[in-house]
Amino acid sequence: MIRTLKNGLGRATLLLAFVLFSAAGHSQEIPTDAAVIKEGESLFNANCKSCHAVKRKLVGPALAGVEGRAPSIKWIIEWVKNPAKVIASGDAYAVKIYEEYQKAQMTAFTGFKDDQVLAILAYVKSEAEKPEQTVAAAQPGAAVPAAGAGIPEGYLNLILVGMIIILVLLVVILGFILTTLKKFLDQRSLTDEDKEVVHSPFTISGTLQSPAFLFIVCFIVAAVGFKTVIDGLYTIGVQQNYEPKQPIAFSHKVHAGQYEIECKYCHTGAAKGKSANIPSANVCMNCHTQIKSGTVTGEGEIAKIYAAVQNNKPIEWVRIHNLPDLAYFNHAQHVTVGNIQCQTCHGPIEQMDVVKQYSLLTMGWCIDCHRKTDVNTKGNAYYDKLVELHGKTSKTNLKVEDIGGLECAKCHY
Amino acid sequence: MKFNRIISTLIAVSLAAVLASCAAKGDNPGREYAPNMYHSVAYEPLSQITDEDAGAWVNALDNRSGEYFNSNRYNPHRMNMREPAPNTVKRNKYGWLPYRISKDSLDYASKVLKNPFDSAASVLDEGKVLYETYCKHCHGAKGEGDGKVATGVTIDGVQKSQVGGVANLKSDALKNISEGHIFHVITQGKGLMGSHGGQINPDERWKIAKYVKTLQK
Repeated sequence: MIRTLKNGLGRATLLLAFVLFSAAGHSQEIPTDAAVIKEGESLFNANCKSCHAVKRKLVGPALAGVEGRAPSIKWIIEWVKNPAKVIASGDAYAVKIYEEYQKAQMTAFTGFKDDQVLAILAYVKSEAEKPEQTVAAAQPGAAVPAAGAGIPEGYLNLILVGMIIILVLLVVILGFILTTLKKFLDQRSLTDEDKEVVHSPFTISGTLQSPAFLFIVCFIVAAVGFKTVIDGLYTIGVQQNYEPKQPIAFSHKVHAGQYEIECKYCHTGAAKGKSANIPSANVCMNCHTQIKSGTVTGEGEIAKIYAAVQNNKPIEWVRIHNLPDLAYFNHAQHVTVGNIQCQTCHGPIEQMDVVKQYSLLTMGWCIDCHRKTDVNTKGNAYYDKLVELHGKTSKTNLKVEDIGGLECAKCHY
Repeated sequence: MKFNRIISTLIAVSLAAVLASCAAKGDNPGREYAPNMYHSVAYEPLSQITDEDAGAWVNALDNRSGEYFNSNRYNPHRMNMREPAPNTVKRNKYGWLPYRISKDSLDYASKVLKNPFDSAASVLDEGKVLYETYCKHCHGAKGEGDGKVATGVTIDGVQKSQVGGVANLKSDALKNISEGHIFHVITQGKGLMGSHGGQINPDERWKIAKYVKTLQK
């Protein structure tokens, strides 16, 4: 009995000593020097960031609090330098981690010195102790510059109404002044000629019924009507400004504008084929396996991609640009050979939350561009002789119209 | 006379109003001229009309569904395109067969695969353009894993989401990887990176691999 107690006491003391030692050891060994933390940051960004984050699980575990979790600092150093060796040695914690992460082994960083690993740990610790940055805290600050950026529409209307009231008041005041002046002049003795000037036959109804006035009004009404009719007729079959609601509120402003993702990353067909193509959901999932909540639209819109993937049901986007069958258009020809920027025809896509048809897409619009645009002949031996020949007879650059860009059968066949 | 004038004004105004509604705006694509030409009877990419009665009013023949209906009744979701027939493979213009090394055989792939292209300037130029199209927004212009998608952006004081786990291609761990390794990872993905085999052709992947090696120097 005494022996067991003694044994137990001994074990407890040992354990206590170990805990104390290791706890002391951890905080002692990790440097807190700012310069070291800085060094650790650059090392972390260069080597660790691809698999680890401080507060988030990526490929590997979140590193915050690793100095308390792992058996010892020495163990961490050995692990970083050669994880395979530590696992092979049968170390229980190493094997557990290895199993937990589906036997995906961490890269061995044999080139690291002990100090460098400590510097990384110092950086991780300093990051872990930083308070969480919340989006909610940042948002009120964001709203202020947005409000100050331009005059809201409501104010503009108020200003307009105010101005109209002031103008009406001015007319009334002028009317008063006129009548008082007339009265004042009537009281004085005037010659007949002057009286005629004061009481001129000018009346509003008289003016309204004069043929000159009627002619002007009729002319303006007819001209405006004619122009509206012609303009209206020209919009038939032209879908400029078509801006349909899409099944997912995908924002080009966020993806192409703010994150600067190249158009062709998703629209892979633009450089290769007739149609630019809408990406399938697997392209979305390259990033959205991780990004589950958008800053603008929250989780609802992104969840629609997951639903599409899960149910194996394609997302039915609404087609915006639609050329009639009688005209042929090929993206690759323009994007790859012609080196035309997407924005030339599609407008400032990178600023659009909802995409709309920016260009007319009429024949006149096509022809106009073919007349004005130089052929992209640089570094293309196919055009060398043509450019030479063209140079002999013309002083302008080789335009698209010079190589048959206006031929009917180029697009209509 | 006055009455006539009012009538004619009314007609002009209503005509203008009717025509003004022809223009496209918002969800309304506008009035079409020769609508049969806009709604192809043949299968068209990216346009699918699943309503069988759509365009019945322009039908030239009585014995078919609406003129605009251009979906395939027999495919799942009435899609017009289908997966290739089973057990068939596509050869590209170089005669290469589809890539078949599985995702977890990275070590094998990095040893076995050889880049069919040499380091000619034209290959590297193409590789650069392709890298900047498909890789730059995550891996950064110089391959340091600092593209805008990886670092996140701050718009109006709001820190936007970022993708984690983007590899720094210049790190010690990746500095000496083979071009076959790069090809395999682009094709199949690795870690948190998804497969890009569907977006980038095999020859383009090899060109990117060549260019990445120059970045790593």
